[in-house]
Amino acid sequence: MIAQRLEVGDAQLDSPLGRTSPVIKLAIAVVWLVGLALTLHPLPPLVLATAAIAAGLALGGVPPRGMAVTLAPLWIAALTVGISNMLFSAANADETSTTLLAVGPLRISTAAAAGGIAIALRAVAIACVGGVFALTTDSTRLADALVQQAGLPARFAYGALAAYQAIPRFSEDLATLRQARRIRGLRGGWHPRLLVGLLVLAIRHGDRLALSMDARAFGSGPRTHYRPMPWRAADGLVAVAAVAILAIALVLGR
Amino acid sequence: MDTGLVLQDPTSQLVMERVEDDVAFGLENRRWTRSAMVARVPTALEEVGLGGLGRRRSRRLSGGQQQRLALGGALAPRPGLLVLDEPTASLDIAGATDLMASLAALREERSTTVVLIEHQVDRAWPMADVILALDRDGRQIDVGAPDDVLARSAARMRDAGIWLPGEGSRTKLAGPGDPRDRTGATDPAVVAEGIRFGYERGEPVVRDIDLVAAAGERIALVGPNGSGKSTLGRLLVGLLRPDRGSVSLGGDEPSRLPAATLARRAGYVFQEPERQFLATTAGEEVRLGLTPEESARVDELMTRLDLPLERFSGRSPYRLSGGEQRRLSLACILIRRPKVLVLDEPTFGQDRTGYEGLLGILRDHLDDGACLIAATHDQRFVGDVARRIVTMADGWIASDETAA
Repeated sequence: MIAQRLEVGDAQLDSPLGRTSPVIKLAIAVVWLVGLALTLHPLPPLVLATAAIAAGLALGGVPPRGMAVTLAPLWIAALTVGISNMLFSAANADETSTTLLAVGPLRISTAAAAGGIAIALRAVAIACVGGVFALTTDSTRLADALVQQAGLPARFAYGALAAYQAIPRFSEDLATLRQARRIRGLRGGWHPRLLVGLLVLAIRHGDRLALSMDARAFGSGPRTHYRPMPWRAADGLVAVAAVAILAIALVLGR
Repeated sequence: MDTGLVLQDPTSQLVMERVEDDVAFGLENRRWTRSAMVARVPTALEEVGLGGLGRRRSRRLSGGQQQRLALGGALAPRPGLLVLDEPTASLDIAGATDLMASLAALREERSTTVVLIEHQVDRAWPMADVILALDRDGRQIDVGAPDDVLARSAARMRDAGIWLPGEGSRTKLAGPGDPRDRTGATDPAVVAEGIRFGYERGEPVVRDIDLVAAAGERIALVGPNGSGKSTLGRLLVGLLRPDRGSVSLGGDEPSRLPAATLARRAGYVFQEPERQFLATTAGEEVRLGLTPEESARVDELMTRLDLPLERFSGRSPYRLSGGEQRRLSLACILIRRPKVLVLDEPTFGQDRTGYEGLLGILRDHLDDGACLIAATHDQRFVGDVARRIVTMADGWIASDETAA
């Protein structure tokens, strides 16, 4: 069920990476992505992807199977992006480029292949970093950290968290609406009307949720914290290690 | 003064992922110190019977537990006033009993004023010090001590569609001995053989169920929340396909029937009308997917359901009252005169007028020989309508007996 897919297990939550500040993890992900944009060399994305997976397995308590199940679809998507870039690259039309492969009207130049591979590898790296972040970051802790460490308004962070809790409900709403169409003799599949129905239900649900949050004095001013999120030495350690890994990756890719 | 609020639907009141975080949410907003919160959260959970469940994920609790969690969250800041809006409407009997026991304990303490808004008064009436009865437009009918209110205004309350304690419905369906009572009839309307069903990757919700429902039968499906009643209902009318076993609806597997054929053999009315509306106006809603012959019946049916087209045709289904929405969702199904009619919690949130109206509609429809299967927690509805009671527990049929 969708509910389970949105949950981070207790083992991952209590692992060293799970207890690392989500703000630090988010910052690392952003810095790594910026670093990747600086180079087209295949090594840096490979190094970062490997580092992310190793950290997830060793420090994040993610079981190898869980890691594979989460990342496999993302990798497939990443490879698809790379292949389509390879096929539709402008370099293929350039008569002066070296031909790597020609099948009938299809021609792939070495430049296009190199570009496609570079893009696929970067997409794989992004998928690994994002996947490991998601597998080791509890949504409650993320909201806590964004408010307490990054200074985000509580209204935004906890509002988003409450909406996130409601995602499984939307998939149930959709299933019900589709069944409602079938029992009224309307054909199955997609229909624009389903979106209208979903939107109405989402707004209604949001209304009730907001009422219930207001009734519990949400948004009435500054609030205290039941789960304090102080900075810890380990957060600094993780940050330094991440920057070092990025530096190594970029040096290898020169 | 601090106030607390508990609404009808438990899932739209839970903000945080884990139980203790949800209870602490209202305390954080009221700027309690951390040490005070750490001391208060477990006791608030104890007070509503959820002691020791603090680290659970609230989505994994049963409906009754979720509603008690909502109560715990509202009570944690020790409010001077607690307002509950039909808190037991979506709960099964055990869940409702537990919640009312929590409220009774709260009443003993006498530290909080409790305002309970409720249609089903049998449980609430004995706990009340003051009754305030309102009519449909929100005007006061009477206010005072329960006995005084009953003595002074019983008739006016009845006329306004309010249930009085211990009172039954005036509309009755055919009972034993009536020629229209079809209990014991044998021509099967829907037959399930060894059906099993589980949602994606989950445990089966319906396990190896055999059930034969005859034409003209009136069956109540009862059992706790999560026992598989709604899922079984959807399997019987082909909205879900069984993982194993087979269903036969008039000789065909309903989940393989084309939608247009299915809609004429079976009807299903979902618990929440809002989740089944598909059009922008009530007129459009009831006419969706009809043949010309069926369309010709719309006017008469809508009038009979007290939704005359001249007044309701252009109105948005979402802006009708709860009772009107329920009747509209019934109209959308009954217009095709399905031979098998499955209702999910048909009396949910209905006042007395809505309830009696529903029974009247069902009586007219069932006299044509249709088979009714209703998943319900409402004992009154079971007593008034069902001639056969199928009790479900944990995906199985625990008992199947003729109503007394």
